[in-house]
Amino acid sequence: MAGKASPNLRLVHEPVLTTGGVELLAALRGALAALQANQEEINDLNVFPVPDGDTGSNMYLTLRSAVEEAADAADPSSAAAVLGAAAHGSLMGARGNSGVILSQVLRGLAQGVEGQARLDVRAWAHGFAEARAVAYKAVMKPTEGTILSIIREAAEEAERGADDTADIAALLERVVLASHAAVARTTEQLQVLRDAGVVDAGGFGLAVILDAMSRSIASSTGPSGSQTPEAAGDHPEAPLETTGRAQRLQGRRGAAAVAAKKGGWGYCTEFLIHGPGLDLEALRDELGRLGESALVVGDEDLVRVHIHTGEPAPLIALASSRGRLSKLKVEDMSAQHHDVLDRADAAATAAAQPAAGRTAPEVPRKAIGVVSVAPGQGFRDILASLGADAVVEGGQTMNPSIEDLLNAVRATNAETVVLLPNNGNVILTAEQVDGLVDECEVRVVPTRNLPQGISALLALEPDAGLEANVERMTAAIEHVHALEVTRAVRDSASNGHHIKAGDVLGILDDEIREVGSDEAGVIEAVLGSADAPPELVTVYRGGDVTAADADALAAGLRERFTQTAFEVHDGGQEHYSYVLSLE
Amino acid sequence: MIRIVTDSTSDILPDEAKRLDIDVVPLTVRFGDEQFRDGVDLDPDAFYRRLPNTTVQPSTSQPTPEQFAEVYRRHIGAGDSVVSVHISAKLSGTLQSASLAASEFPDGAVRVVDSTTVSAGMQFLVRTALADVAAGSDAAAVEKGVTDRRDRVGVYVLLDTLTYLHRGGRIGRAQSFVGGILNVKPLLCVRDGEVHPEARVRSRQQGIAKLVEIAVAQGPLEGLAAFHCGAPAQLSLIQPLLEAAYPDLEVIPGQLGAVVGTYSGPGGVGIALLRAR
Repeated sequence: MAGKASPNLRLVHEPVLTTGGVELLAALRGALAALQANQEEINDLNVFPVPDGDTGSNMYLTLRSAVEEAADAADPSSAAAVLGAAAHGSLMGARGNSGVILSQVLRGLAQGVEGQARLDVRAWAHGFAEARAVAYKAVMKPTEGTILSIIREAAEEAERGADDTADIAALLERVVLASHAAVARTTEQLQVLRDAGVVDAGGFGLAVILDAMSRSIASSTGPSGSQTPEAAGDHPEAPLETTGRAQRLQGRRGAAAVAAKKGGWGYCTEFLIHGPGLDLEALRDELGRLGESALVVGDEDLVRVHIHTGEPAPLIALASSRGRLSKLKVEDMSAQHHDVLDRADAAATAAAQPAAGRTAPEVPRKAIGVVSVAPGQGFRDILASLGADAVVEGGQTMNPSIEDLLNAVRATNAETVVLLPNNGNVILTAEQVDGLVDECEVRVVPTRNLPQGISALLALEPDAGLEANVERMTAAIEHVHALEVTRAVRDSASNGHHIKAGDVLGILDDEIREVGSDEAGVIEAVLGSADAPPELVTVYRGGDVTAADADALAAGLRERFTQTAFEVHDGGQEHYSYVLSLE
Repeated sequence: MIRIVTDSTSDILPDEAKRLDIDVVPLTVRFGDEQFRDGVDLDPDAFYRRLPNTTVQPSTSQPTPEQFAEVYRRHIGAGDSVVSVHISAKLSGTLQSASLAASEFPDGAVRVVDSTTVSAGMQFLVRTALADVAAGSDAAAVEKGVTDRRDRVGVYVLLDTLTYLHRGGRIGRAQSFVGGILNVKPLLCVRDGEVHPEARVRSRQQGIAKLVEIAVAQGPLEGLAAFHCGAPAQLSLIQPLLEAAYPDLEVIPGQLGAVVGTYSGPGGVGIALLRAR
């Protein structure tokens, strides 16, 4: 029962036949400690040689929220109760794409153990299978070579292992080995990872979690085997070296590779079905047959449905015969029945209102509110001055949690809310918000950078409805280009450029366009390569750039590009010396 | 005979007024102690030349009732009746002065009408009223023609800044556009007699594209005008685009005069349109 738990010694230990809530909480704590120790390592795995590495931080903050809630589980001895609490905590605290997917892994694990207080190998295998299923469903276009591949291979190994052994420690050891092997393979699975010669960051993070949990559980041998995090495993706080530095010069974060994309054909139809007594499997089967990309999740009291279908009407009719519907949303591509469905949408929204009760009835609610995300006080002030009701701090290196966004959405006291993530890595988190809030309808306009967010906000028409505004704002972001200027944090090759640590990178609309040694040169080169010079360039200086430096830069640009107007503002962002909006 | 009277916020200049044989009663523009009759002592070009070089901000005042009474007396004395078309009562007290003056005369002799619009938008109402007169309508029918058409008039203007409108207290519902940190160009519209926010753009090019888009979306049109605020280059940018969008319409060029220009400030460009029934 002592801390030694290396694979070679494990065989001589007493087998672990079941695990309960106490051991699971210890294992989660061990995983949290390991994740903290490896946080920087994971952060450093970026395919983009820019300092946007926050996968490790995001996963750590997500898991921390899970552990905090698991520690308060209603029945600490029950594995199902601890996992259920962890799943809920992780969803509320989820940050970034990898955090959201991790929360779905935990949610699946919790579902898969089906209320059992103590888990045997079968329950573990079942939990992993469910974790895989739920995680894949969370992502609209699952991509191999990401965290998804890791949970898939882990689940497959658990399934095989449960046939061979009744020892959970042995099972988890096999799962961990399979996970690390899967992490190593990500390099070959994704072009961006292969180009960069690295492994996937989110996948590596998941392997770290499983590894630490395995060590913790192996060191417990029964119901009495609860461990303090310190004793739970063989130095879990030491960074793992399983993948070897040579393999990862830089790496694509799993999250970036699986960023969800809205759209599809026909009608994207979403709604909630209220129980009690819903049969999830039956619903998934009967509703799933009526469309594609079906996502039917939930429990007997509440089921969330997301289906792409050519004919939403029969789908909605069938669903409404199974339970009360709310939050009905039909995004039409072909515009037929548009008005009918809009009215149904409005009626569903109205029907959802009485249940809200979160806002004092005497406060009149705004028809439409805007919640935005921005790093840097300067950007936050600008967004607020343009009419954003709430601006959540966050961005490239510090993704906001779902809970941060939820709180901001609620604070708007609006019937409908437009969410502007302003960062590619915040979009998936933002898309979770609508499913978690009952008192208002939330739509995401997928702004990938601050210039897009500002353009979208400028297009807001407070007297128009939600759909009309989402359309206006989405159209507005197509007319602005973002040039982000930063310094490479490591040597790499990307997009045909050979990049050395310290090089200045000019990234136009998420693509590296110029590599140079100074900011002014890079910006001039990018602006000079445009077909027609932009009419207006707004220069947002970062927190480390003085006003005098920014003004000097702008003066030089004005001399070179006489057809273009240049404005300088304080953005206050970290890591990017300049963000420029080109219009 | 029916005479048409309007005020100088129609931005109909004296030569044009003479040609149309109408009366344009001037409002007053003041720079400190200096006082000018809008369009008479101070033409638009002179006003916009002066505006950037002054430390005193201009102010405006409506015509006195006596200015209107003089004109009305002349026409009534000659045995004519008057239809008097004026700037939106929500933007100026001009209509009030005209109404006071009209009350001196027998009922129906002077019909004062709120155009609920301004500048080139008012010009459509004045010109169509003249056409009605020429077609032989009686005064009541001419008045009704104006009130029927005014809801089909739209005026949209892209300003360089909201400062002048804000300072002049005419901002109306465009208040929500005030206070930005970024240099945002407001696109405003005069609707129901008031200034409304229409859109915000980051550049003049975007704004001109938006104005053309509005003109197209509001079609079919009976009338289309383009105007500038001391910025003829802007007018020459938008005019060909409008002409291309409506090859069968004459795009009437113009300029905001001193009184309206006091609130628009320099650098703006806009359109006025009369939608088909």
